[in-house]
Amino acid sequence: MDYVLHILVLVGIYVILAVSLDLIVGHTGFLSIGHAAFYGIGAYTSALLAVNVGAPFIVGVVCGMLIAVLLSFTISLSALRLHGDYFVIATFAFQMILFNIFNNWTDLTGGAMGVPGIPYPVLLGWHVDSNLEFVALAALIAGLIYLISWRIVTSPFGRVLRAIREDEVVAKAMGKNTSRLKATAFAVSAALAASAGSLYAHYITYIDASSFTVMESILIISMVIIGGAGSLWGPLIGAFVLVTLPEALRFVGLPSSVAANLRQIIYGTLLVVMMMFRPRGLVGTYAFRR
Amino acid sequence: MHAQLLVNALAAGAGYALVAVSFGLIYRVVCFFHIAHGAVYTLAAYCAFLCITTLGRPAVLAMGAAVVAAVAIGVGLELLIYRPLRRRNSSDAALLLASLGLLIVLQNVVSLVFGDETRSMRQGNVVAGIALIGARITRVQLAILLVSPILTGGLWAWLRFGRYGKYVRAVADDTELSTIVGIPTERVFVVVFAVGSALVAVIAVLNGLDTDLTPLMGFRVILKGIVAAIIGGIGSMPGAFLGGMVIGVLESWGAWVLPSQWQDTTVFVVLVVFLLVRPHGVLGRPLRKARI
Repeated sequence: MDYVLHILVLVGIYVILAVSLDLIVGHTGFLSIGHAAFYGIGAYTSALLAVNVGAPFIVGVVCGMLIAVLLSFTISLSALRLHGDYFVIATFAFQMILFNIFNNWTDLTGGAMGVPGIPYPVLLGWHVDSNLEFVALAALIAGLIYLISWRIVTSPFGRVLRAIREDEVVAKAMGKNTSRLKATAFAVSAALAASAGSLYAHYITYIDASSFTVMESILIISMVIIGGAGSLWGPLIGAFVLVTLPEALRFVGLPSSVAANLRQIIYGTLLVVMMMFRPRGLVGTYAFRR
Repeated sequence: MHAQLLVNALAAGAGYALVAVSFGLIYRVVCFFHIAHGAVYTLAAYCAFLCITTLGRPAVLAMGAAVVAAVAIGVGLELLIYRPLRRRNSSDAALLLASLGLLIVLQNVVSLVFGDETRSMRQGNVVAGIALIGARITRVQLAILLVSPILTGGLWAWLRFGRYGKYVRAVADDTELSTIVGIPTERVFVVVFAVGSALVAVIAVLNGLDTDLTPLMGFRVILKGIVAAIIGGIGSMPGAFLGGMVIGVLESWGAWVLPSQWQDTTVFVVLVVFLLVRPHGVLGRPLRKARI
């Protein structure tokens, strides 16, 4: 039972990550392979504040989001006015830079040894320390973020983002400041991803750079694509499928090294197959067409 | 000490240069980032590894086999994956995602078959490098240093004077117009993948001989190659070459000035700076803002 609860918490975390990524990939039409970097920023900020300064959970979450937003501007400023391909490479570079910082700045982040001993979260007197309570917390945060995303997506702001996705030149011609809108969307998505990081840090109580690699970013992208970009259900389903499917692999009894490779082969194949035969994903609305 | 740094930088740079040039060639024509090029690199190196160690063939034959394999894979990817996607009017993002998926799959297949440990295809004993301007350079590094500019020069000449070379430039410039004028555009796409894959196979085998093989070797190199192509100027052959040399120098200098774990970071930070200041790179032309 504990195992199932653990899976549910992970699903919750990845729902937050996938939904926030969909805001830029599915609704604004920009591919980002740096989402795990923001995930990591949230996690490290929360962890370091909690461990070094004893900051409460909420403070950690908010600070993580703030730093993520600030850092998102480094990409926004440099790459959002360029062709989409360049933006992807910029996010790739950002991801690698941040991973290197997490992994090598030993004085701050513990380097390869990570940050151990992160306390369980305490929310207004509610001590979250059992798996069941964590599922509740994860569901609460994921639900909140889903709601926020739903409000964004159905608002005029969401409409403009979709207009940018379909044809940025037209949006600009209609007088919309597309650069600022894209930067805003990117910042929001980064902040939400950071909150997932905080949740993760306080749940596992130990973090290190290996959870925030390029492969993690690609995993989150896969969730959005496979579930379906452009609708909010898509990333939800994608997160659920891509967290639970590999767990099913565990019961097949393969040696762990083979399982790890097989898991990635499945992600990769699904990505290619989806792009070739159903680019809109399982329940998405954006089909990546010109 | 500095002479050795320079020699290392030049050899590494020449390697990155060839990767960047081959990648840039493909990008110019197909207009999306063929990230799976990294997988072609890895597969070519491992193919040579198979030839040398398991089949016991000489290195030159292994190189030939690797080139053939790379061309087959590159062309196969174009015919089986990219062309159908293009027919379906997929956006560049879709192609890039498919390419990414392919890279992951192929990389993991290599990992499954050959294992994650470093494999070596070096033969013979370790010898001291040849002395050069007060530093040491290994024979393989020297080979890279010579082969890279020669192949790049050859590519440039082909693009300038060869019949299909000119077709390539035309298609890179304006695909639709080229088709209208009667250039066999689809065939040009295939040719470009063939040539690009062949070039990257050469450098893959040489690098494999120099620094051994791991399943992730292609991924690391292609990322640096893309950065090199962007810094040097995407769409420009000499730009890509220059970009590669710059990356080589940056890495060596970075390792000298900063603790070596920041080597990679230096390169990516420079990329971000370039994107901020001069996104079309040193020798590239400013990009068109929109495609109508």
